[in-house]
Formats: sequence, C-alpha cells, structure tokens
Amino acid sequence: MNIARFFLILLPLVVIVFYGKVLFSVADDDLNQFESKPLPEFFLLNLEGNPVDVSNLAGIKLLNVWASWCITCLVEHPYLSELSSKGFDVIGLNYKDSSDKAQNWLNKYGNPYQFSIYDPRGDLAFDLGVTGAPETFLVVNSQVIEHIQGELTKKKWETIFLPRILAAQGDLK
Amino acid sequence: MSIQNFFLSLLLFVSFGLLGEFIYEFSDTTKEKRFYNLISEVRCPKCTSGSIASSDAPVSRDLKDRIYQLIREGKSDQEIKSYVSDRFGAFSDYSPPKEGVHALLWFAPSVFLWLLLLIFFMRRRF
Repeated sequence: MNIARFFLILLPLVVIVFYGKVLFSVADDDLNQFESKPLPEFFLLNLEGNPVDVSNLAGIKLLNVWASWCITCLVEHPYLSELSSKGFDVIGLNYKDSSDKAQNWLNKYGNPYQFSIYDPRGDLAFDLGVTGAPETFLVVNSQVIEHIQGELTKKKWETIFLPRILAAQGDLK
Repeated sequence: MSIQNFFLSLLLFVSFGLLGEFIYEFSDTTKEKRFYNLISEVRCPKCTSGSIASSDAPVSRDLKDRIYQLIREGKSDQEIKSYVSDRFGAFSDYSPPKEGVHALLWFAPSVFLWLLLLIFFMRRRF
C-alpha cells in the first residue's frame, strides 16, 4: 500500500520532468537554432554586371543582405566597414534594389563589400530564407552555418558569429 | 468622351491593375482550396505569430506567389511544405507532422489527462 502511494506521487513527477525536459530541449536546440544548409545554387550578376563566380564564396565569408532603401542597413554600415577593415571577408547581397541606387549608396557611404551580388527579385534571398534586410549569413566553404537577422551589432557578432568563425578557422588550418 | 468620363475610366484601369497583383486564379477549385489551406498553415517568418494568409509583409507575398506557382506546377502539399521549411526552417510549418518528437506535442496532453484520471480512480479505491 505504501509502495502504491509512493508510485502515485512518483509517476506524475516522472511524466512532468520527462515531457518538460523534452519540450524545453526541442524549443532551445531545434527551433531556435539555425538549420545549417548548403549555399543555394544561383545564377546572378554582381553589381558591376558580371556573372558571380561561386568559387569567390569559398573560405569564411559574411554574406550581408542589404539595400539602398533599407534604413537599418545604414545603421549597421559603420560596423560592417569596421569588420571589413579588420580583414573579415564581407560579401553583399543587394536585395530588391536597383543597381543605380545601390551603386550610388555605395559611392556615398563607402563600400565594405568585396563584391555585391545583384538580386533585384530576391531569388537567392528567398532560397536563403531571408525575411527582410538587413540579414547576415556566415558561410564557410559554401555551407551556410549561422545567421543574424536585423542589425549586426558588436554583441551579436561576439556571441553568435565570432565563436563559429574561430572554430572554422581552426578546422580549416 | 467628356473629361470626367475619361478620368473615370482611367480610374477603373488603375484599380483593376492593382487588384490583379493580389488575386490568385486557378483552373480548378481543388487547387484553389489547397492553396488557401496551405497559406493558412505556413507561418509568416516576419510576424510574431500568424500565417502568411493573414500577412501582407513582402516576404509573405513572395511566399504566397511561390506556393501559387508550385501548385500550378503540380507539386504536392508535402513537397511544397518541405520546399518552404528547407528555406525558412521547420518553424515555418504551423501543422507539424504527427511523428517523432512532434508526436509529443500532439499526444502528451491526452496521455497526461488519462494518467491523471487513472490515478484519481486508483486513489479512490485505496
């Protein structure tokens, strides 16, 4: 009888702990974590009008989605330039923009990008799962391994991207 | 044609042109039903909570256009859902498959309820 009572208390506890643990681990690890995927295939021109050579995307690259109409892109622009001058490879994905406006924007504010992929309809952006500009992807050897939605801040850079970059640098050596 | 009539007809053309962007035309009603069912089951990636059917965010419009196109190409619902979740994550599917770890979400509440009932009746007997 005492054993039965003991189980009556224990059983719901076990159930609660078990489901709680499973559900919380799903929420943390599966849903919030970016699903790593290969860089989608694309056939686009750069802003200069030449076809983009995908081999230029090998190694460790930041792929930054931007547009001249995007206000937050201008906000993150100085930090992006700082990263670029520190030697990180930043590649632009010009999103739903016109090449004239994009070119003017770069001339006016400076160009932190090695080159910008010109994606006026947002085709590559759609395949990447871009929900709006700005958004930045970390691409290692044509594998998209992490992303930051919205403004790329120092804090996000140091907590989300930098550890993955250091790990990737270690792997590539 | 008076000037008034001219501007009135101009207005008609303009409004039809605008409507054309948002109307999805289908050759048969099954496809149309599937389309409206699908867009209510895909989460808007830009919203706090809501389907792309209820959203006019640019990315939701892109998603609706793409789903429309895929249905016309004869893709199945499952193919379209995995097409979307490949790009926007498993999070995008409002009705996740009832298998694997998702099964817990669907069935855990009823399992829990039955366990409680069982315990309740067992206790009464003691």
